[in-house]
Amino acid sequence: MVSEVSAMKKFKMQNAKCKEATRVALGLFFAVGLAVGDAYAQDGPPAPPAGRGAGPAGQAAPGGGRGRGRGAPPAPGPLTRTADGKPDLSGFYEGVGRGANYGLEEHPGATMLPGGQGIVVDPPDGRLPMQDWARAELKSRQTPARGYDDPTAHCIMAAGVPRGFYVPSPFFIMQTPTHVVVLFERMAWRQIPIDANRKHLPDTVRLWQGDSIGHWEGDTLVVDTTNFNGKSWLNEAGEITSHALHVVERFTPVNANTIMYRATLTDPIVYTRPFTVEVQLNRDASGELLEVACHEDNQDLAHMRDVKEAGTGLEKK
Amino acid sequence: MRGTILSATIAAALCLAAPAIAHHSFAAEFDADKPIKLTGKVVEMRWSNPHAWIYLDVTGANGKVERWAFETGAANGLFRRGWRKEDLPAGTVLVIQGWQARNGSNTANAGSITFQDGRRLFAGSSNPNAEK
Repeated sequence: MVSEVSAMKKFKMQNAKCKEATRVALGLFFAVGLAVGDAYAQDGPPAPPAGRGAGPAGQAAPGGGRGRGRGAPPAPGPLTRTADGKPDLSGFYEGVGRGANYGLEEHPGATMLPGGQGIVVDPPDGRLPMQDWARAELKSRQTPARGYDDPTAHCIMAAGVPRGFYVPSPFFIMQTPTHVVVLFERMAWRQIPIDANRKHLPDTVRLWQGDSIGHWEGDTLVVDTTNFNGKSWLNEAGEITSHALHVVERFTPVNANTIMYRATLTDPIVYTRPFTVEVQLNRDASGELLEVACHEDNQDLAHMRDVKEAGTGLEKK
Repeated sequence: MRGTILSATIAAALCLAAPAIAHHSFAAEFDADKPIKLTGKVVEMRWSNPHAWIYLDVTGANGKVERWAFETGAANGLFRRGWRKEDLPAGTVLVIQGWQARNGSNTANAGSITFQDGRRLFAGSSNPNAEK
């Protein structure tokens, strides 16, 4: 316990140092008016455009300037609306995941996983209300031997709900009066019929992404999803859900470029009470998703199977 | 002054950079306690999913050549950063620092990639402690 507290203190101190470094860098940059490109020039060719396409400071992207820069999003403006008067959510986005792909709670970086600031907004303490057995299972999943068990390691990228919205990867929302479809660059896709009278699939049908039904409450798109198969991990940390999972997502546009996304997860097999995560979804200026054919050359799986065999006595193939 | 700006910018960039997206936990495959640094000639860079791979022939002290496979970030991530397929032709000499696979094979996760002239490339490592 002492070491956990110590690690969290160190993590918070590192965060504070990072914020200060960023403040100093931005302050100096704007005060002196030097182009960042000057800094890059000391180490290699000119940097690609700012944004996702930029190489990190001090490092060169080969053939500098060719980064598929996603750049800064346009300045936020008032909501735009579709012909039927609903907020127009269509477009490319990426969630501000705050490290949730490596743990939904605030957590320090460790050997197994990068740190994260946490996205749990209820309970108010930001901790997941896990049953005791689930905590034990989570601890087991965070050993090298269990990494093989994450479905995404097997390239099953229909990785469940709400994982696609905090994985650091873009997605595209398509909206019509009758459907919202979300195409994730890495996490497959979801189809959401907009029909308040629609019933969920029979209980015998179990799906990786679940069965979603949407409806509008004012300017908020509300999506109710059940019929999960319970095999998904919530993230690389191995956080858990079961087939009893019921997710209610709320997409509330804040302005033309920002959606506040909240998902409340109820799963009485794994958790002692419902909990809610919140992720800001920002429009992405790239205007494209790139191909991710995960099964193409997944050499990692054989290596991870070796680790699992060594660590758990899994029978050799 | 310019040095201060550079240092601060690098510090901010290192802090702000998100870990490269992977489809699996770094530690499930690679061992952060087995750092390696090898110099060799590129045999092939394979642009594939879910990771791109650099195959490097490394000549040991005994003159024997061993082939190593270095995992980098996903092909789409490298493409966004400006990498292109023709950037590492066969025969290019590189120094690659990384972490060896837990199964003890000649496989590693690339942390940093350096040309002979000192230029460094973004490797897209999934190691939480790697430079980004």
